[in-house]
Amino acid sequence: MSEKRIVLKNCEVIDPRHITTYLTRDGFRALEKAQKEMTPEEIIEEVKASGLRGRGGAGFPCGLKWELARNAPGDEKYVICNADEGEVGTFKDRYILQNDPFTLIEGIAIAAHAIGAKQGYIYLRAEYHHLLDSLVNAIDQAKERGFLQHVDIDIREGAGAYVCGEESALMDSIEGKRGEVRYRPPFPPTKGLWGKPTIINNVETLMNIPQIILNGASWFNQIGTERSKGTKVFSVSGDVKRPGVYELVLGTRLKELVEELALAEKVKMVQVGGATGRLVPYDMIDTALSFETILGAGAITVFDQSRDVIDIVYRTMEFLAEESCGKCAPCREGTEAMVEILGRFFRSEGMEKDIRVLEELSSAMMLSSLCGLGQAAPIPVTDSLQYFRNDYENRIK
Amino acid sequence: MRKIEKITVTIDGSQVSGCEGMTILELAQQNGIDIPTLCHSPELTPIGACRICVVAVEGSRTLVGSCHTPITQGMVIYTHSPKVLETRKVIVELLLASHCGSCYMCEKANVCQLRKIAADLEVGLPRFQTRKRYYPIEDVSPYIQRDLSKCVLCWRCVRACNEIAKQNVFGIAYRGFNSKVVVDFDQPIDKEVCQDCNVCIDICPTGALSKPREVGEEKKGRPLVISS
Ligand SMILES: Cc1cc2nc3c(=O)[nH]c(=O)nc-3n(C[C@H](O)[C@H](O)[C@H](O)COP(=O)(O)O)c2cc1C
Ligand code: SF4
Ligand code: FES
Repeated sequence: MSEKRIVLKNCEVIDPRHITTYLTRDGFRALEKAQKEMTPEEIIEEVKASGLRGRGGAGFPCGLKWELARNAPGDEKYVICNADEGEVGTFKDRYILQNDPFTLIEGIAIAAHAIGAKQGYIYLRAEYHHLLDSLVNAIDQAKERGFLQHVDIDIREGAGAYVCGEESALMDSIEGKRGEVRYRPPFPPTKGLWGKPTIINNVETLMNIPQIILNGASWFNQIGTERSKGTKVFSVSGDVKRPGVYELVLGTRLKELVEELALAEKVKMVQVGGATGRLVPYDMIDTALSFETILGAGAITVFDQSRDVIDIVYRTMEFLAEESCGKCAPCREGTEAMVEILGRFFRSEGMEKDIRVLEELSSAMMLSSLCGLGQAAPIPVTDSLQYFRNDYENRIK
Repeated sequence: MRKIEKITVTIDGSQVSGCEGMTILELAQQNGIDIPTLCHSPELTPIGACRICVVAVEGSRTLVGSCHTPITQGMVIYTHSPKVLETRKVIVELLLASHCGSCYMCEKANVCQLRKIAADLEVGLPRFQTRKRYYPIEDVSPYIQRDLSKCVLCWRCVRACNEIAKQNVFGIAYRGFNSKVVVDFDQPIDKEVCQDCNVCIDICPTGALSKPREVGEEKKGRPLVISS
């Protein structure tokens, strides 16, 4: 088995209400080491050498992001923890926030020290409002113990928009504006929140930091594959007997997670990465889960043979059309056009020419949309056209 | 004082140079290369919403918006590659598909930038059957008429009101396909400040914003003839 607990090390072990239970498990020792024995540059070097990549979906090298922010001119800098977790089928950040808020706070504190930020924010998904008190309590306890003298950590709650998990829309939302995507460059490490250098990291990314600092980059570096170091926390749902959160070494085969751990049977297809994730037909179930192959934010949605692919793709597209921020034309109009076409296939009223139209529209959206939502929205369409083309052809009037 | 750096880039095969901070669009225009734009206006801060100005840049996974992307040393740019043209066409086609299409009776038909871009890119009847955007005409104000069925969501009016007229009358509400330029909590425009400023009307690329028309008044501009 390839299960390994790094990120989830303390989950269901410590009491999330009491910092003392965390302190007995090396809690805040990494922060102490980072502050007393290392320079900010050394911390960043360590994170870079670890090979840690972002766990929020895009897989950007974490250390490099920090370095850009550290080197950007200015005294006012920000750290943001992305706890919006809006991706369909993800619930691993919720599990982490619920069970181990302290490691996250320590990770944020180390990040702030490394880039020179005096203010940190946790952007909490609106639907996770029930976790607010527990997070505030954890921050207060860390503060009382004197761990947060160099940084203030505040929580900002979202208002329920998927796109606000996207980093630039998220910053708009924190600034009190309508959450809308901004064009890049400039990127957040040079010009982010209120125009100041900012790093935005996913909850799980930051959870890795304390152990990288304590155990060293070379320890972390041995786990995983060539370009995917460490573990990944997966949220498994759908047609499985044991849905839930699993932490596996990167590079583990999808088959092991879906069939051996989650006990799925008669699998038709697995969606890896949520609404804009890849569709993996059963005959490719041996694919490894890594940045080199498929990963996303780790949403694993399993569909068995009773499911209809067109139905799944159609409903996914309805979701994306509703969640498009509406700023850029290819995403705003393109998702709407796709809903119309897929709706006809769903009702077995497809037309011969629709398939080509879908392909050309997909290409234009992927190439020109302003953010990851519009760029990745066509993926379920192109993947299903590739692996389940018959399902479309059978529904042409 | 900081010296302004010269930057050399390759655009459509020729080497040219520009200054630091210049956008790809500005450099192209300086070199006589025409890139279509819709949401962009030189008087306003760029917003990158319409995506019609996209160009290909070597090494970039996606196309990039030329109206907001600064040039960098050694950049290799293609402004009219087949992929670029195809993408621009699909975007215009999408905008036309949901557009009301009553050009024959539109006040601004002869000066409409959407029609002009569609003609230049040779976009024919759209292949999409998207629903049409429909909103009743807002003609409460004697100074400005809004027909948002014709709006292409370029945000020019929003930015012009904010940046040029310094009034901030417009905002955006709703999301996705239902996004809409609104006044206050989506009320018909009838503001003291909106009298004879005309800034937004002049900058709107379509017939969405206009002066209420007097009976018998002629249409603006010369008839737009689309050559085949
Ligand atoms: C539409 C959209 C939604 C996103 N939602 C989330 C989210 O809920 N949580 C998250 O961590 N990242 C999300 N991201 C990715 C963020 O933009 C960003 O890449 C990430 O937070 C960076 O952190 P990382 O480098 O630690 O992964 C989203 C991206 C897009 C395009
Ligand atoms: S009303 Fe005119 S200027 Fe305003 S967003 Fe619509 S098309 Fe652009
Ligand atoms: S003109 Fe550049 S995005 Fe609209």
